[in-house]
Amino acid sequence: MELFLQTLIDGALIGGLIIVVGVGFSLCFGVMHIVDFAVGEWVMLGAYTAYWLVRYLGQDPMVYLPLIFALFFAAGWLVYPLIYRAVSGRRHHPALMGLVFTFGLSTLAKGGALSAWGYHVRSVSTWLSGQSVSLGVTTLPALRLAGFVFGVLTTVLFMVFLYGTRMGVSIRATAQDRETAALLGVDVRRVGELVYATYAGLTGMTGVLIGALFSIHAAMGAKYVIFAFFVVVLAGMGYVPGVIVAGLILGLIQSFVGVYISGRYTLFALFLLMYLSLLVAPKGILRRGL
Amino acid sequence: MTTPVAEVQSPARSAVPRWTAGALLAAALLLLPFTVSSFWIRIATEVLLWAGLAQSWNIIGGYTGYLSFGHGAFFGLGAYVTGIGMTVLGWPFAVGLVVSGVLAAALAAAIGYPTLRLRGAYFAIATWAFGEMLRQAATVLEVTGGAFGMRLPAFLNLPFFYYVTLGVSTLVYLTTYLLLERSPFGYKLLAIREHEEAAEMVGVNTVAVKVNAFALSAFFPGVLGGIYAYWLTYIHPDSVLGGIITDLMVVMVFLGGMGTFWGPLLGAFLVQLVSRSLWLVWGESTLYLVIIGAAICIVVLFMPGGIVGLLEGRRAPLLAPRAAWRWWRERVRW
Repeated sequence: MELFLQTLIDGALIGGLIIVVGVGFSLCFGVMHIVDFAVGEWVMLGAYTAYWLVRYLGQDPMVYLPLIFALFFAAGWLVYPLIYRAVSGRRHHPALMGLVFTFGLSTLAKGGALSAWGYHVRSVSTWLSGQSVSLGVTTLPALRLAGFVFGVLTTVLFMVFLYGTRMGVSIRATAQDRETAALLGVDVRRVGELVYATYAGLTGMTGVLIGALFSIHAAMGAKYVIFAFFVVVLAGMGYVPGVIVAGLILGLIQSFVGVYISGRYTLFALFLLMYLSLLVAPKGILRRGL
Repeated sequence: MTTPVAEVQSPARSAVPRWTAGALLAAALLLLPFTVSSFWIRIATEVLLWAGLAQSWNIIGGYTGYLSFGHGAFFGLGAYVTGIGMTVLGWPFAVGLVVSGVLAAALAAAIGYPTLRLRGAYFAIATWAFGEMLRQAATVLEVTGGAFGMRLPAFLNLPFFYYVTLGVSTLVYLTTYLLLERSPFGYKLLAIREHEEAAEMVGVNTVAVKVNAFALSAFFPGVLGGIYAYWLTYIHPDSVLGGIITDLMVVMVFLGGMGTFWGPLLGAFLVQLVSRSLWLVWGESTLYLVIIGAAICIVVLFMPGGIVGLLEGRRAPLLAPRAAWRWWRERVRW
């Protein structure tokens, strides 16, 4: 029973982090119709940036979260014009080109990281590593709890931004109907720019926590690409609230399969569920996807 | 892109030289193993293998407009099925190849059926996840030898593998030519790529056509994977299921020209040439990934039609620098 409870809580805590990645990824698809294959590489680069900052400047990696958000926001801002160019209407198959372009970006980033930093596995530790919070029935690793709190806070802030501000309304309008939004005076290009930059910033920042929780290596991205895919397929592409449910499901699957079967079968379980979900509920389990 | 109008007009003009060129090329390909050293036979076999793989990817990615980012999985599947068939079940090589191809096609149909009903993005995701899953399966399962891989009975006969690969790759191009360039099936695929709703309106059973195209495009990588496994005699998850295999197929097709008949061959030839030259200079290196990634991005940004797209239409005025520059600026999109 205790193991069961521990697994349940562990899963939910990991799910909190995955949600942040999923929300940005899903919104990107909603607004720009781009599936960003580079999502895992943003996570990986975020983790590495934290590692090198800690290595050369000292301090706790958590201190650098705002800086890393700013850095990745800027990086996303700079990459966006290229993506926009790849999908712009002048060419024949914009959606196809966007997919291939982000696929190329991800290969480029992964290859660059492998070439620069090799296959070594690195890790960063924070002041929370090794500590735990007692909850009576069970104990929680403090870092996982911090990750969860970070995930929830970021998601809530993002939701407030999406549902409470004028810019948020423009973003949601663009996601619902790009052409109509443009006709009503929304600058869809700027909206896309903002969404992509915010998404890159959030994902890079999440990478810091993922790097602190697990380990950092150049090929770590692939796993998070699958996670992000899984979350948006279950949630329904472009439907942001569904991401929260799907993120939690993913966290639970990961921890239950890892504890009760074997960590090596997580991908099978995820793929099977994704396949079944596509088969019976192609618009996501809440049936609200695009 | 294929422009049927232009093609209808051209054959009468250049039929004889075209047949002569084709016959010369066929003779050169058939006689190659007798004239060059084993090093070059190996290189030629590789080029043919990749030309076949790239054209297979082109069937679903280029002609149909649905990107399969897990196509390497079918190659790896073929390699492992042939390997297991020959070592554990004692099949002859030919049986292994046929079973590999059929199994790859069946799996493709199973994955394609739910995902091809949806937008292209779902298909791209599902195929990619499938590729990752299959690699993990090969690493975990016992019958595949896990991360250490498996050995096949050794058969050291380079010309044999050259001819088998030549045969299968020729079959890929012949199938593409007959089924996609010269039959209603091909026009249905083009219609789906250009405007899926319109295709459905005029009565094309889009899902069935797409699933067939995907199964067809998975069949040949399965067979080629089997040949590759028997040729190298040693396979492991990273060598036959690594993401780089899909990456290479994508870059070859896009560099050559997506959805064109000769593009994949051209792309495979060029990429293989560059990668082999680099290999001679650097040895194994992860820098290939950087180059492949950068090449994909650059092609998408500046020459989305690939090399074939650049060469379409008027010939390049190679001897006049100014005109050549203008020609180039007109075609490369800035």
